[in-house]
Amino acid sequence: MMDRLTRNWLVLIALILATTALAAADGRIAAAGLLALAWAKSRAILGGFLHLDRAPGWLSAFLVPLGLWLCLVWALTAVR
Amino acid sequence: MDLEDLPGELIMWILIGSEILVFAAGITAMSAMRLTDPTGFADAQAMLDGRMAALNTVVLVTSGLFAARAERAAAGGDRRGARRGLMLAALGGAVFLAVKGVEYAHDLSAGIGIDAHPFFTFYFLLTGFHAAHVAAGVVLLAMVAIRARPDAVQAGAMFWHMVDLVWVLILPPIYLLG
Repeated sequence: MMDRLTRNWLVLIALILATTALAAADGRIAAAGLLALAWAKSRAILGGFLHLDRAPGWLSAFLVPLGLWLCLVWALTAVR
Repeated sequence: MDLEDLPGELIMWILIGSEILVFAAGITAMSAMRLTDPTGFADAQAMLDGRMAALNTVVLVTSGLFAARAERAAAGGDRRGARRGLMLAALGGAVFLAVKGVEYAHDLSAGIGIDAHPFFTFYFLLTGFHAAHVAAGVVLLAMVAIRARPDAVQAGAMFWHMVDLVWVLILPPIYLLG
């Protein structure tokens, strides 16, 4: 049976493949998708490798500001 | 939500938060600067080779898996397994730096320097600062592997995951959001 760490790594690889596939697309929606994938990778690293899945309050304390910051980056990209 | 809920040493979380803030400030400044010359930034960004960045992401998250396994092995009293995981993680860091070196050499041979365009100033500063963290992490992982004490292995692995985390966050704005 696959262990938790290997499963988390496979999730990250899948997210990287999705990023590579979406990278060819252009436009605001694609940009939002790429940043959402970056957020999902962050969640996998923080939750699965840095063990914040065991401390959901702290996981949110990192992920919510990160999500807001990525929204800001998207807005700065989309405003052009 | 108590401080005691945080896995590992508090100082490592302070470091992780601080590093995220530093790189986020750099990316935000770059994104704001892009507004002054969107075409120039897009043209400059198009000169980068995103395939190498994608390859390096795979290398880094895979080395993160080895670091996490080293941490688990150390916690279970398996020092040999911890050392093996740490050295494989460090090897991943060395491969990352080698790929980055090839990428920089390709950039420089194409006439891309740090002062070629404001985008490249941010590109070299942010990716160079990150690469310096990777180099420091490789040394740290090798040092921690000598004694492979559980608390030290955990701290080394946390530093390594931070390097991984920063990379996945800075990659889209630098390489992909044209």
